[in-house]
Amino acid sequence: MLENALSFFDFNDANVVYVSLGTIILGAGAAIVGAFTFFRKKALIGDAIAHAILPGVCLAFILGGTKNYFLLISGAFFTGWISIIAIDYIVKKSKIKEDTAIGLILSVFFGVGIMLLTYIQQSGNAAQTGLDSFLFGKAASMLAQDVIIFSAISTILVVMILLFYKELKLITYDKDFAQSIGLPVKWIEFLLSSLTVLAVVTGIQAVGVVLMAALLITPTAAAKYWSGSLSIILVLAAFIGGFSGVSGAFISYIAPNMPTGPWVVMVLSIFAIFSILFAPGKGYFSRLLLQSKNRRQIQDENILKAFHQIAEHENSFGEAKSIGKLREQRYYTIRLMKKILQRLKRHGYLRKTTEGYYLSDYGQRKAARLVKLHRLWELYLTEYLRIAPDHVHEDADTIEHLITPEIEKKLEEKLGYPEVDPHNSKIPYD
Amino acid sequence: MIRQVDNPIIEIHDLSVAYERKPVLWDVDLSLPEGKLIGIIGPNGAGKSTLLKAIMGLLPLNSGYIQINGKPLEEMRHKISYVPQRESVDWDFPTSVYEVVMMGRYGQLGLFNRPKKADKEIVMDSLRKVGMEDFHKRQISQLSGGQQQRVFLARALAQQADIYFMDEPFAGVDAATEKAIIKLLGEMSAENKTVIVVHHDLQSVAKYFDWIILLNMRLVASGPIEEAFTPELLQETYGGKLTLLTEISDLIQKNRFPNRE
Repeated sequence: MLENALSFFDFNDANVVYVSLGTIILGAGAAIVGAFTFFRKKALIGDAIAHAILPGVCLAFILGGTKNYFLLISGAFFTGWISIIAIDYIVKKSKIKEDTAIGLILSVFFGVGIMLLTYIQQSGNAAQTGLDSFLFGKAASMLAQDVIIFSAISTILVVMILLFYKELKLITYDKDFAQSIGLPVKWIEFLLSSLTVLAVVTGIQAVGVVLMAALLITPTAAAKYWSGSLSIILVLAAFIGGFSGVSGAFISYIAPNMPTGPWVVMVLSIFAIFSILFAPGKGYFSRLLLQSKNRRQIQDENILKAFHQIAEHENSFGEAKSIGKLREQRYYTIRLMKKILQRLKRHGYLRKTTEGYYLSDYGQRKAARLVKLHRLWELYLTEYLRIAPDHVHEDADTIEHLITPEIEKKLEEKLGYPEVDPHNSKIPYD
Repeated sequence: MIRQVDNPIIEIHDLSVAYERKPVLWDVDLSLPEGKLIGIIGPNGAGKSTLLKAIMGLLPLNSGYIQINGKPLEEMRHKISYVPQRESVDWDFPTSVYEVVMMGRYGQLGLFNRPKKADKEIVMDSLRKVGMEDFHKRQISQLSGGQQQRVFLARALAQQADIYFMDEPFAGVDAATEKAIIKLLGEMSAENKTVIVVHHDLQSVAKYFDWIILLNMRLVASGPIEEAFTPELLQETYGGKLTLLTEISDLIQKNRFPNRE
């Protein structure tokens, strides 16, 4: 096994080089075409096409009697296209919705495909060996000439997508508008469908019929966590698709009895799960981080406000406050309170003496601003939203942490720099 | 009250349209003057958006034809701009404000051509006119409803058309955006552009438009605001429900009957 793995990376075997390059191009091509079906919310169409290709391949084999690639691809392309037309027709002419139509076509075509495949296998034709690798894919069994054919098709796919990028993007985002400027929408949709069928025909070399949908959809599903720009998503998806493709080839090289498809899908899924968890901004942990940052900000600001409120109450501005006193104003556990105070001190809002903590100039300004925001918002709620004064405190307690300087300015102007809040507490200005 | 005009910018002749086999517009016949701010008014389901889509060639017609400046639509597409309803697109689509507005240039660019410097200037200029130039790098998923509508308008401006069709541009926008849009429409009208707007709010009709089309499955009125915006015509549009017409439409759909023999 290890020897196999090492010899894969030697690239001495010419076939290894071919297969590696080929699967990269196959994976990337399928991912790029798949991105458009993904954003057109037609992700499952790819699945239907993939399954519908099987009867085409089998029919072509029965008619041709050999593994003639030109014939096999033509057969696959033919039944793949029929499945698209059939789905469209069912949706348009009956009350059946698209998801049901896809399920219907997918299973009927796949059933016929398996039937034909069984027939071929029992007919004892020597050339049939390897046809069943269409089911789960077997990248490593590709010969140099297969790789060249499929890579050429994939390259054409990528070039077509690049040529029509502008138009494909427009019909994906806003089809009505595209039609209104006179774009040949029907024609471009036909082109995209054909590209999808071709992507499936080539992609099944790597992953097989059953798991083809993953190669179309998953790269984009993962890539869209990392960028908000379609062009960058396409590049990322191509990379993910290509990398997963070559990983599958590698695995089927070191373990010749392994089907490739499931391994490609495993690698794809790792990309997807990694993206869902760790992508900056949209990822799970990034959101978690933001939440805890918000929580800390709210705690910090609440304590700063407590300093101001105590000082206001006792008229003791500038004097140190004990933890006990602060906890009377805002009940946090002693441990948490100490942590918050440490943090505020570190950031220069507080200074420490033997009696406790007192606000720095900077901290005092910040505390006063928070109190001001709280009271301005209370006033806004009572004056503009006509909410009773005894109901506004809770709202203001949340909103005060969120108000930006721009909104602060608007509030001040709208309310005319008021002196006091609805509870007659003085609003502090700088 | 249907006022026909000489040298109309848009002429609609005997237009009937069905939506999923159900007839929604019956024999609409009207002509519109150039350089006016025109409102299409009517209750829900009256066929207002359908009329716009039919004019833009987005729906098959059951009967009738449409002429723009005396010519068929296909010859005039470069002079026409269409602003679809805001909800008709997916605002989570991964693209920026700038790129959406650039789509307004695609019609002029044609296949394979990439935007040139002049196109980029037109895009930024259009964004400036709707007050969104600071947002040009923003992801469209981060826009508010009002900002989304402004982006759609900027895209329309970037088309540099003569005739603008807008489907509910005031729906669900904030007051500031509404004000900005109406100011923009005024400026366009002053440049002799024709602007046709599907509109919902009866209160602002008289303030906004020069000319109105009252619609409820059939044309009730088309004329200058002072003549067409009357209580009687509004009553006819909104009040007296044409139950017979609705029943027949339902029957046609249910029995899969042809709309025209």
